[in-house]
Amino acid sequence: MIDEGLKSELQKQGVFVVSTEWLYNWGRKSSIWPLQFGLACCAIEMIAAAAARYDLARFGAEVFRATPRQADLMIVAGTVTKKMAPQVVRLFNQMPEPKYVIAMGACAISGGPFKDGYNVLKGVDRYIPVDVHIPGCPPRPEALLHAIITLQEKITGQHIDQTRWYDATATTEFPIPVCGEHDLLPAANPEVWQPPKDYRDVTNEESTKKS
Amino acid sequence: MNYPGKGLVEGLAVTARNFVGSYFYKDRLTTVQYPEERIQTPENSRTFPFLVFDESPDKPRCTACKICEVECPPKCIYIVMDRDDKGKPLQRPKAFDIDISVCMQCQICVEVCPFESIKMDNDYEKSKYGRFNDLVQRLPDLLKSNDYYRQIKPVKAAEVDAKLKAEAEAKAAKKAAAVAAAAAKAAATPPAGSAT
Repeated sequence: MIDEGLKSELQKQGVFVVSTEWLYNWGRKSSIWPLQFGLACCAIEMIAAAAARYDLARFGAEVFRATPRQADLMIVAGTVTKKMAPQVVRLFNQMPEPKYVIAMGACAISGGPFKDGYNVLKGVDRYIPVDVHIPGCPPRPEALLHAIITLQEKITGQHIDQTRWYDATATTEFPIPVCGEHDLLPAANPEVWQPPKDYRDVTNEESTKKS
Repeated sequence: MNYPGKGLVEGLAVTARNFVGSYFYKDRLTTVQYPEERIQTPENSRTFPFLVFDESPDKPRCTACKICEVECPPKCIYIVMDRDDKGKPLQRPKAFDIDISVCMQCQICVEVCPFESIKMDNDYEKSKYGRFNDLVQRLPDLLKSNDYYRQIKPVKAAEVDAKLKAEAEAKAAKKAAAVAAAAAKAAATPPAGSAT
């Protein structure tokens, strides 16, 4: 490891010294190609974010790929119905590592206003690991850009030797749910879906502690 | 006049006009350089609710009446009223949680609030890594000053301030009238009592 003082001294002389890890992460964070699919009204905001005024291309993420094999990022933009959920998981499985997921909007995070309905998945994180959540109904295009920046920060903080995709024992395939008689089977993937026991109690205790 | 490829030529002319124009006119440059510059959002734009307090965060306008909790369509508000040692309600929230991962920004909580206590914010940068603890806004996160509300929504805040002031004045006038009436009654009672 080179020390920071020497590094900045060399930088002033026009010599840039970087670690392989920094270069690797810089390359990945500057070319996050999203998968081109939208599920509901949040997709309209996603399209607006890709168009001229907000211009996702400034973050290197403008190349919406129409195939999961070339995509790095899945923006789950909209309501995931129980009929669509198996396809979303299948697409995520087909994406090559390293892959990331942004859950955009209330419906994708938790089911939102439809969370008490019979046909909407109560959050896409029941089946696939979500990296960044954007609350909103729908979030503004700037909020999506902010999420991309947040994701870039996450990528910058990752270490090559600890990444999931070089770990031979890590899960890369997530089980695809099947439409059962009453609900999707299984109802959630316990490897991914680990909610706190009763988070209302937790929040209540914490807020009384704070106040 | 129609000729093959007319649409294409017209389309390219628009592109060319914008491309060349962008070197001469500022309004042809449509891109907003987001993290550095932002679009001024209209006053009525909204994201998530927050709670207004007047002087200090210890005294929010909210009285924990739970009307918003009942009215909220996706049921994302959770309120516990504060009570003293004897169990008497203190008319202020002990816990006030809004799960912004569920909130659909419908503004119904604002419309039903009789105390002008809950208002819509316009901060949209709320992306978080976690879902449960990061996206639940608790009472300390929600409480924001009236000055902040005046700053983000000047016209509406002025209306609300005028309304609250008028209400306070009406209340004070009513109280003064009641006191005056009681005094007049007290002055009038002894002769009436002596007469009977």
